[in-house]
Amino acid sequence: MKLALAALFLMWAVSAAGAADIAIALTDERVEVDTGFAGAHLTLFGAVTGVENPAETIDIISVIRGPASKFRIRRLEKKNLIWAPGDTHIIEGAPGLYLTNATRPITDIATLPDQASYRLGANFIEFTADKAAEAASGIAAEPAHNELYKNAFLTEIEYQGLYQDRVGGVSFKKGALFSIKVDLPATTPVGIYSVAVYLYRDGVLLGQDSAALNVNKVGVERGIYDLAHQQPVSYGILCVVLSLLAGWVASLAFRK
Amino acid sequence: MQIYLPIAEMPVDPFIIVMMGGAVGFLSGMFGVGGGFLMTPLLIFYGIPPAVAVGTEASQIVASSVSGVLAHLKRQTVDFLMGGFLVLGGAAGALVGILIFRYLREIGQVEILISLSYVVFLGLIGALMLTESLRTLLRSPDAKPRRRRHRSVGWMAAMPFAMRFRRSQLYISPIPPIILGFLVGVLAAIMGVGGGFIMVPAMLYILKLPTNIVVGTSLFQIIFVTAITTVLHATANQTVDIVLSLLLLSGGVIGAQLGARAGVKLKAEHLRALLALIVLAVCARLLVGLVAAPSSLFIMEAF
Repeated sequence: MKLALAALFLMWAVSAAGAADIAIALTDERVEVDTGFAGAHLTLFGAVTGVENPAETIDIISVIRGPASKFRIRRLEKKNLIWAPGDTHIIEGAPGLYLTNATRPITDIATLPDQASYRLGANFIEFTADKAAEAASGIAAEPAHNELYKNAFLTEIEYQGLYQDRVGGVSFKKGALFSIKVDLPATTPVGIYSVAVYLYRDGVLLGQDSAALNVNKVGVERGIYDLAHQQPVSYGILCVVLSLLAGWVASLAFRK
Repeated sequence: MQIYLPIAEMPVDPFIIVMMGGAVGFLSGMFGVGGGFLMTPLLIFYGIPPAVAVGTEASQIVASSVSGVLAHLKRQTVDFLMGGFLVLGGAAGALVGILIFRYLREIGQVEILISLSYVVFLGLIGALMLTESLRTLLRSPDAKPRRRRHRSVGWMAAMPFAMRFRRSQLYISPIPPIILGFLVGVLAAIMGVGGGFIMVPAMLYILKLPTNIVVGTSLFQIIFVTAITTVLHATANQTVDIVLSLLLLSGGVIGAQLGARAGVKLKAEHLRALLALIVLAVCARLLVGLVAAPSSLFIMEAF
């Protein structure tokens, strides 16, 4: 009896010491959008603990979620001869960027309830697509109709490269270390991003970790943007003065 | 190499933008036109959001009009009184245009408005220019040129507040110039043009200004109205991208110089026929965009 208890205790201790877990860090916790910004390469570094031969036995999923953004979406309708946009639908609650990387297709790694609760993949993001007029008045819209706009939104934003579900990009280093390479597109929105990683083995979630990433406009870029939005009148006058000056300099340069 | 535009919020290839400025500058130097009506559609074809294309083009026209205005001021070919009334109407027109623009932008119809007004105006002007230049080209060389009609402005002198415009040698009411300025101001705000292509013929054929005064006075009006339009777009819509504007200008000034030199080698009628064909080509391209089945049925934008 004593022996059996001891054996049980040992097993528990081993599994406690070696509880599988995952931890990540970002090489850069901020991404700066300046005049030369054409997208950014991001590397997530991480470690897996408590798993033997991680490269062969486990799966990793990373989810990068941009700040919540608002979008307008309209369907083109043929009116007489021309294609004109119809009613505006407002997309609310959707992130401005959504990138997942995984060692295998996510559907093979995680169970459906997990995919839904951890939003593994763009199809599980929750957002609304109400008609602009109805969103303002608070009248509930027709769900089936809005589903059409939700699907169209996902198609469009995937086409623009802002939502991507990618297999690959995860590479295992020596032992328990791994890295994930992610490319942020040039049109990525500014704001606070969340980065999360999930560790899976045989369809079971073993651990997770997350970090924050700050994407910011800097330098001249930020100066111009802030001025244009915070003091639009001064910015407009500045534009006119600069244009007059530039035109005058040009006319001097080419004076005969 | 890429440059990230702060207001359009997109990366562009600066060389392509400078080249575009240069190409339109070349045409405007060659034909003696402002070029806004070519530049705005080109920017839209490149992928700049139409609202930003229009707002930015206003500031670029300010810059590219400076040398012309200075030259005409020196030659004293500007009727300030007439110009003043045109600016007065133009400022009111620009304000109305901006309000229409802002409203349509909110309900998502501004792209259609911009494209449609371009199709209508480019189509009309292009067709008129083409028929007129073809008629001139086909007319036998010994035929007598049509005698210019007497400058009858009686109906405009009969309107209230008639006054003397000394430099233009006219006695008319300021109401017609104010209305003309107003209409051109609305177009300037909505289409991102200076409006010279309407202003010049209207001043010649309706107001009956002398030819030597027309261009200078029109430029004088354009630089003021586009300056006002720039400030209004910046205030109401935040759509003036100064980086884009300066890139276009740097190509534009060089292009304009080369174009002016190339222009003197061509006959006026040939020039006009050529310009008409370019205008009609841009019009056709915009029309195709409106009529052809779109590649995607949905349009989506962040805001």
